[in-house]
Amino acid sequence: MPRWLRSGRVIVGLLIVLAVLSCALFAPLLAPHDPDEQDLLATLLPAAWQAGGDPAHLLGTDGLGRDVLSRLMFGARVAMTVALVASFGAMAVGSVLAYVAGYLGGWADWLIGRAVDVWMSFPPVILSLILMTGLGTGASNVILAIVLVDWTRFCRVLRSEVLVVARRDYVAAARLVGFSHWRTVTREIVPATIPLLVTLLTLEMGIAVVVEAILSFVGLGVKSSQIAWGQMIADGREAIYQAPWNLLAPVAAIFITVAGFNMLGDGLRRSLDVRMVEGRE
Amino acid sequence: MSLLEARDLSVSVSLDGQAVPVLRRLNLALEPGKVLGLVGESGAGKSMIGRTVAQLLPPGFSVTSGSLMFDGRDLVRMAPARRRGLLGRDIAFIPQEPLTALNPVLTIGAQMDEHFVHLGMTGRQERHARAVTALEAVHLPEAGDLLRRYPHQLSGGMCQRVLIAMAFASHPRLVVADEPTTALDVTIQAHIMELMAELQRRDGTAVLFITHDLRLAARICDDICVLYAGAVVEQGPARKVFGLPSHPYTRCLQLANPSMRGARRALYALPEQMPGLRALTGIAGCRFAPRCPVAADECRSLDPPLAGDGHKAACLRSELTASIDVGDARRPPAPHRGQKPLLEVAGLSKRFTSGSLFRRSATLAVRDVSFRIGAGEFVAVVGESGSGKSTLGRLLMGLESPSAGRIMLAGQDVTIGTEAARQHRIRMAQMVFQDPQSALNPRRRVGAIVTQALEAGGQRVSRDARERRAGELLAEMGLSPEMATRTPSQLSGGQRQRVNIARALCTVPKLLVADEIVSGLDVSVQAQMLTLLQRLRQELDFAMLFISHDLSVVRHLCDRVLVMYRGEIVEQGATEAVFAAPQHDYTRTLLAAVPAEL
Repeated sequence: MPRWLRSGRVIVGLLIVLAVLSCALFAPLLAPHDPDEQDLLATLLPAAWQAGGDPAHLLGTDGLGRDVLSRLMFGARVAMTVALVASFGAMAVGSVLAYVAGYLGGWADWLIGRAVDVWMSFPPVILSLILMTGLGTGASNVILAIVLVDWTRFCRVLRSEVLVVARRDYVAAARLVGFSHWRTVTREIVPATIPLLVTLLTLEMGIAVVVEAILSFVGLGVKSSQIAWGQMIADGREAIYQAPWNLLAPVAAIFITVAGFNMLGDGLRRSLDVRMVEGRE
Repeated sequence: MSLLEARDLSVSVSLDGQAVPVLRRLNLALEPGKVLGLVGESGAGKSMIGRTVAQLLPPGFSVTSGSLMFDGRDLVRMAPARRRGLLGRDIAFIPQEPLTALNPVLTIGAQMDEHFVHLGMTGRQERHARAVTALEAVHLPEAGDLLRRYPHQLSGGMCQRVLIAMAFASHPRLVVADEPTTALDVTIQAHIMELMAELQRRDGTAVLFITHDLRLAARICDDICVLYAGAVVEQGPARKVFGLPSHPYTRCLQLANPSMRGARRALYALPEQMPGLRALTGIAGCRFAPRCPVAADECRSLDPPLAGDGHKAACLRSELTASIDVGDARRPPAPHRGQKPLLEVAGLSKRFTSGSLFRRSATLAVRDVSFRIGAGEFVAVVGESGSGKSTLGRLLMGLESPSAGRIMLAGQDVTIGTEAARQHRIRMAQMVFQDPQSALNPRRRVGAIVTQALEAGGQRVSRDARERRAGELLAEMGLSPEMATRTPSQLSGGQRQRVNIARALCTVPKLLVADEIVSGLDVSVQAQMLTLLQRLRQELDFAMLFISHDLSVVRHLCDRVLVMYRGEIVEQGATEAVFAAPQHDYTRTLLAAVPAEL
């Protein structure tokens, strides 16, 4: 068994993420109802185990009589799509710039460093709201907004790691035996930064889930025809006293998903980071 | 009565649930006012004794039996509070790394003051006065001013003086010095040792001196304890131990050290290395037997006790020790005369600028350096840290670009880093780095590392051809072929350095730039490396620029020597001539700092 799988955090995190992911993938098969099916005679039903609950609607229904559990499962689709695509996108943009800045140094580093500084001086939530207003709603625009806001996170953290690795003698040695810059970076530097990259990626997935929920909550996220957890929270807010589960279910879904990503990221960091591993052995 | 006495002291570490002995039934005694040297290579367990005194054993290590008596009281079983009362007062420590031993955010004055408070001095004035006297005792000028400074504003040597001042300030009865000069330059080493000896005589302090440096131990110790694989193999008065060693290990170590005087002799290269902790449990009989030149069958079954009167050795065949000897040094191949020099450097300078846009400061790391290296010639660059010798090596390899001057390599100008110059340099010159830990990619296998040159520049070399070349190179370095599938972390220090050299020799360059490649190694491994370099020189006929601070190594290996001081070459010439009759003051200082013969 590889070392990174032996950590409890990684296993728990991975199980949570896989569970949410399979909910998203197999939502049409798993969901007990059509998420858009309205039953105006059974609105705001409480959860099945509460008084007046209906076993057919495990987590009750919302103000239009739609099944909350089914909506949660379909909502996971948007959440996971955004989490995966946006974090890979942010990683791609941020890490390429980080390798360029860290390896070349000099004016390239200066330029990219200043760009990151300026970018990070905007509050990220405001920046993404502005972007969404400009871009319009839709899942792909949410992804674009997250990439444009969060590439700086990758760039800054990875750049400092690249700086450290690029100063190792084996990188100089690779150049001295005749490696091209491209080969030096891909063969000697990138493999050394993969653990950090994997860690950042999982943490970013958690962040993307939250950002998507925020944007959907204020109505700037996905189109109103799509089901998203943020939207469910916004809807559930209105009936908080009659049917608290309408609000609590999507909040719990976000909480558990983000916790899963964070535990996975934290566990990976602890088991992949050479410095932390050496400290224990 | 002895001040410090170990009686059957055993220290073990638990590895995978099994107790592995690190120190085995150790007996030693340190009389008041004497200096006892604990010598041995890394892994011999010498630092464990110092750590046992302070009860600062690393996690997993513990004293399993025996006692360590200080002034008649057992330090091992003493209540922690009482032991803390002794430490810093009656027992003081001088650490190995002076810069990390001082707190970087507190001034020297604050740290000394804290120490004096611990010693129970109440008056602020009194403490200040004591600090000044303590600093004056270690010959630090302007002590009052020094107290207001921070550790980073001081050199390593000054920091070590401060720490020595603090150690001796309480007039301790025992000072434990663990490699106190290893991190310092040779010239400073000598001063620090004199200073310690002076304070030791002044107070009649007993010193437990832990070192890997036999010369240093021979110079300052009254008694010597030689450790090998966790046990004392020889002990006795220093003059007797080094004058006529009784244990083959001591003799071999002595012969592995290059000599500074007399004819150049070959080095005794002990095969392999000291067994690691895990290997220790499996050895029956004498632990040195697998490497011992005079071992017989009985040595492999009987564990010899420490025998003798006054001068003791743990060897069954100690009468044969004196017969171990080495011949004269191999004559270096004659230089290729009449040919153009391989490397010609003229007026080379390197200026580093630092600071902000408005307050720029420049330092000349290398200043107007000119020299030549002929084909097949071994040339040494010596100097202390900061003399610019490493920068010179990096300039030659194109890792830094020169500010002025010219570098001609095999008839082609490689001063400017054009692609043509780079390709030429790659074919002609290679570099071996100082720290094999950082020079070998931990994620690659040894076989891939040594044949790295074959994947460069879009060449298509088949997997078979690479494996074959890796096998050849490893065999040439005296490594077994199965090493090719290991990763660097699975190798020992000496093996890593061999892999490091193998990579540079893969494409058979004409010039090797070697930056301190034997300085981090144990004496016996260093001797192996030097012997290897001499053999490779004859087989492959390359020239080498050998950057080093160790003059005895330079004398052994190199034909010519360049002495660098503050970025300049202050003296150059044939090694023998320079060492016999140094012209420049700095060269004289360097030579005087090397401890006398063993």
